[in-house]
Amino acid sequence: MQAVESLRNADQNLSRLLEAAPDAMVVVDQAGKILLINAQTERLFGYRREELLGREIEALVPERFRAGHHAHRDGFARESHPRPMGAGLDLCGLHEDGHEFPVEISLSPLKTGSEVQIFSVIRDISAHKITEEQLARQARELAQSNTELEQFAYVASHDLQEPLRVISSYTQLLARRYKGQLDPKADEFIAFIVDGTMRMQRLIQDLLQYARIDKKEKTFSSMESQAALNQALAGLRSAIAAGQATVTSDPLPAVHGDELQLSQLFQNLIGNAIKYRGPDSPRIHVSALRDGSEWVFTVADNGIGIDPQFNEQIFEIFQRLHGMGEYEGTGIGLALCRKIVERHRGRIWVESEPGKGARFRFTLPAGAKQAQVEETASARRES
Amino acid sequence: MWEVRSAEILLVEDNPADVGLTREALYDARVANRLTVVGDGMEAMEYLRREGRYAKATVPDLILLDLNLPKKDGRSVLADVKADETLKRIPVVVLTTSAADEDVFHAYGLHANCYICKPVDFGTFVRIINSLESFWLSVVRLPPKTPPV
Repeated sequence: MQAVESLRNADQNLSRLLEAAPDAMVVVDQAGKILLINAQTERLFGYRREELLGREIEALVPERFRAGHHAHRDGFARESHPRPMGAGLDLCGLHEDGHEFPVEISLSPLKTGSEVQIFSVIRDISAHKITEEQLARQARELAQSNTELEQFAYVASHDLQEPLRVISSYTQLLARRYKGQLDPKADEFIAFIVDGTMRMQRLIQDLLQYARIDKKEKTFSSMESQAALNQALAGLRSAIAAGQATVTSDPLPAVHGDELQLSQLFQNLIGNAIKYRGPDSPRIHVSALRDGSEWVFTVADNGIGIDPQFNEQIFEIFQRLHGMGEYEGTGIGLALCRKIVERHRGRIWVESEPGKGARFRFTLPAGAKQAQVEETASARRES
Repeated sequence: MWEVRSAEILLVEDNPADVGLTREALYDARVANRLTVVGDGMEAMEYLRREGRYAKATVPDLILLDLNLPKKDGRSVLADVKADETLKRIPVVVLTTSAADEDVFHAYGLHANCYICKPVDFGTFVRIINSLESFWLSVVRLPPKTPPV
């Protein structure tokens, strides 16, 4: 007696669970006749229970999928195991009022004696779909606005060069032809204009370079970072000579990247190390350490260093810590470095104290042939 | 015998500021020349083909051609000149602000004789004009104006 009681309780619990479930649940027999539905099925499809029981499940399927659904149902009954329905397909439910909505369906066979029934759980994913579409739209809009911004920066800086060239050329012409023939004030004014236009020109060129980083197609490949460093050093030859700087490096590894961009990165970091020199002649050392799938590069110098409170700010575009008269520059160099490193999915940061030099560190994804370099590096350590 | 005469240069340029700069640079570079300026591509073709008011024009020894021009742009002028049996031997120097790879590539594809980006610095511009003069008007041997018999 008690056993029957507890069985009935269990049965009631089960059916309460079924009724409370957030998904629509439907059991059909092998012929596709609906045997059982829960409350959520009524809500989701807009039918009353008695309207559905005994009907073919295809009543809940949009007209155009019905034939296919029939065939699949037969297939499932023959070779049934739990699985999601129509993987990779967009499934639709048909509401009583005729409108369709996106659903996800999972199917399980229910073996009762010789008969195989099919138990399906149907989830309305309309909200899901809407969010998905919104996200996709936002991503598209963002990409569009990024492209426009890059194009704007590129066009603006290119077109800005045009009138600037006229101004600077004519001012230089003025200086060439009339220097010393006007009064000293006039010479001074002309010098200021020439100086201003040259600074603006540098600014525009740096901006152009900054805008081009994204404009350029990604052409990353496995490459020797040593080649990028050599290229940077060639570009810095006169700055190194003028600053009596010494640049040394450990054997550098292969990385996955763009050689031109990485040489720009080295050139900016080493150029900065020379520019922000301390009382001693600049000594700069480039090294790299393996960390998992990345290499951590360090460009260390013995320059004036940076107050740690500016550690973040220096990587922002147009942020300068020094007045115009102290150090030349446009405030784009380190922003460019960060953009290059981030395009390579790396990070860049600085470790420094005023007066104690700076260590700029950045990570790059390792390229092929890393094992060989690791071997040479460890061989060097041993020797 | 060398025939001593000043060179005949045709400048195709619409921006008066640039025309002025080229004039001044030629002056500073002490290039003995006669500079004729036309302001758009159609005028350039009329001049070169000696049409209408240019019936008595002299065929230039050198053409300095800007790419971005009103009415008919420099690329089209270049294409027409290089496709013209009587004009195609005249050296065309593309002198432009565009440093775009596609412009450089395209210009040489149309048989431009050389491609120069206008510098921002006037001193550099004078040096460029100077080397243009020494190369095109004295180092190289230019074709005779009439076909040899």
